[in-house]
Amino acid sequence: MHRGDAIGRHTLRLRNATRARGFESHIYVDVTEEETARETIPVLEYPASAQPGDVAVYQFATASYMAPWLAGRGETLVVNYHNITPPDLLAPWDNHLALGQLRAQADLRLLAPRTALAVSDSAYNEAHLIEAGFAATAVIPPSAALGHDVIAVGIDAQVPARETPRGARWLAVGRVAPNKALQDTIAALAVTRAHDDPEATLLVIGKPATALYDRALHRYVDELGLHGAVTFAGHASDAVVAAAYAQADVLVITSEHEGFCVPAVEAMSVGLPVVAFGQGALPEVLGDAGTFVTSKDPYALSNTIDALLADAPRRASVTQAGRHRLDSLDLASAAERFVALLVALVESGGRRR
Amino acid sequence: MASDKVSVLGHPTERPSWVPRARPVASTGVSAPLTPPGDHDDGEGRETNEEKAAAALHAAFSRLAPQGNDAWNFLAAFTHLGDRYGPYHPGTSGLSDLLGEPGPDRRTRRTRLARLRPRGDRPTADDARREMEEAMAQVVEAFRFLSARVGTLEQRLAHQDRPIDAVPWLVPAEELGPWAGPVAAHMVAMTPGGAVLHADCGEGLLLDTLAQGGVDALGVEPRGGVALRALERGCAVTICEALETLETLPSGTLGGVVLSGVVDRLALHELLPLLSQTRRALQSAAPIAVVATDPSGNGSDRGAAALELVAGRPLHVETWEILLDRAGFVDIAPLTRDGVDDGRFALSATTPS
Repeated sequence: MHRGDAIGRHTLRLRNATRARGFESHIYVDVTEEETARETIPVLEYPASAQPGDVAVYQFATASYMAPWLAGRGETLVVNYHNITPPDLLAPWDNHLALGQLRAQADLRLLAPRTALAVSDSAYNEAHLIEAGFAATAVIPPSAALGHDVIAVGIDAQVPARETPRGARWLAVGRVAPNKALQDTIAALAVTRAHDDPEATLLVIGKPATALYDRALHRYVDELGLHGAVTFAGHASDAVVAAAYAQADVLVITSEHEGFCVPAVEAMSVGLPVVAFGQGALPEVLGDAGTFVTSKDPYALSNTIDALLADAPRRASVTQAGRHRLDSLDLASAAERFVALLVALVESGGRRR
Repeated sequence: MASDKVSVLGHPTERPSWVPRARPVASTGVSAPLTPPGDHDDGEGRETNEEKAAAALHAAFSRLAPQGNDAWNFLAAFTHLGDRYGPYHPGTSGLSDLLGEPGPDRRTRRTRLARLRPRGDRPTADDARREMEEAMAQVVEAFRFLSARVGTLEQRLAHQDRPIDAVPWLVPAEELGPWAGPVAAHMVAMTPGGAVLHADCGEGLLLDTLAQGGVDALGVEPRGGVALRALERGCAVTICEALETLETLPSGTLGGVVLSGVVDRLALHELLPLLSQTRRALQSAAPIAVVATDPSGNGSDRGAAALELVAGRPLHVETWEILLDRAGFVDIAPLTRDGVDDGRFALSATTPS
């Protein structure tokens, strides 16, 4: 469990919300990370402390020995599904990663028959659960949007310095992985700089998922003459990310596949316009707050971003729409709503009606 | 995404087909029908210049994916083995020992404890199969170590050859300028027919001149920002290194080749395969022209970083005569022009009849 990623944060909030309801709750992990060792317990210690009536909530995001292990146990099982990146998107870059995703898909199908309830963070993800054979499903958005942390942390932190302070500031946040298709954002930036805004820049915040894809992106930036216009900041602290949101003019999302997209929510939290490739859960998550493109044409994306940035009333409108969208997502109560589902499940005898 | 990004994974319930395949072909290959410069949106469905430029930008990134190269194929082969015989999920895990067995059917296998039960005197078919699978697991591990060793070797060689990737962006694109007319005239006069390729084509000055002379012109330019200007004017340009494009062309198809810019920045061991591939791709009795910087001149306008990081350097005319001769070209002669000396010279030659 990593403290810095969305699933780690979500798991911690869920545990705390469960304890706030008066239940005993612990986080068990197969692999202990040093940064979260104080918050977690090795899963092999669980059987010794297992009690009748225990409910196991499995945070499902990747292939793990946890899946077959849980499949063989008897506790009431709730699967909290965070999406599996289609292996097809990863295979051209990293066979090993792709194999992991293929196994994750198999794990999901393995768990379906013995899961009392599967919770996803979007209707888009819920469809995957139904397809995998889960009979009882629910949708609750993740409780780990940075927006709230932005308010807490403040926005006066340092961000990586850029050589050209003028020009539109594009921002991309999220794992630097092949399914994020950052090359499409970079291509659009090349078009914008060639035609409309020679000083537009792009800041990419996120940890590389595979070295080959990361290297190809850097090379692509160089080949398009964008060295100095694109900054790869890598993994950044909450303070740096918060400052980046505050200083950016637009969040650009060109992912091929998004199960929810926490950065989109974070952008709405700080009033940052979002331009996105309209696929996966993004239209559902952003609603009217998002400005969508339907193709990966860099000229179309460039024109859409440039038009939005030049249209102050439209920007104000999408910012307002973002606030309404956040209200409807009601992320502040997401953890409590999740716990309420668990309580209802327990009270109904372990099966959701 | 480029259509040549073929999924290599079959249906999740089937064994994945990690099939090694050839590298994706660069875009705007010779076989594609060529159209003269200018916007082609004539309402009859032909691609506009922007659409072609967008396709070229996408293709420029697609060719950076490792799929199809030797390293990817190697990993694909033993990932397939790993899927069948390797551990469920490589990496440390507290649960892995508990679950015990490698291979995809681990959930139905007996635990190690169960395997210690007394056997009969004769080994069963099950025992033989298990021994074979454990042996294959060892083979997978051996491949993993081998891959690591090869990777180390490759890294060392790469750093010797090319300390940084995508070197062209360090060297400014140099247009042919006053050489465009004489070179184009020579190509028009000497070509036996077919397309004439120019690398590095820059913003496409020679391509335009060749087109005006009625010759199909193809450009190769590794600096994407420069190539974009040529693409948007309707030139047929691939964003790529010259050698990468030439390697994809069928033998004996080009009607002529002009090499400029690229010849000043490639190391000798890269120039030799470039000339060899040029020779192969040209038809019989087809012309080649080399426009190169005279190293005896006033000195390079390269910046300090380019001087120190770019392996190639301009070569004297005598050296080029030798290189062309060794590559199998005949009728090697200076190509002259009127006007002020710009520090460059040109040579022409042909492939044998």
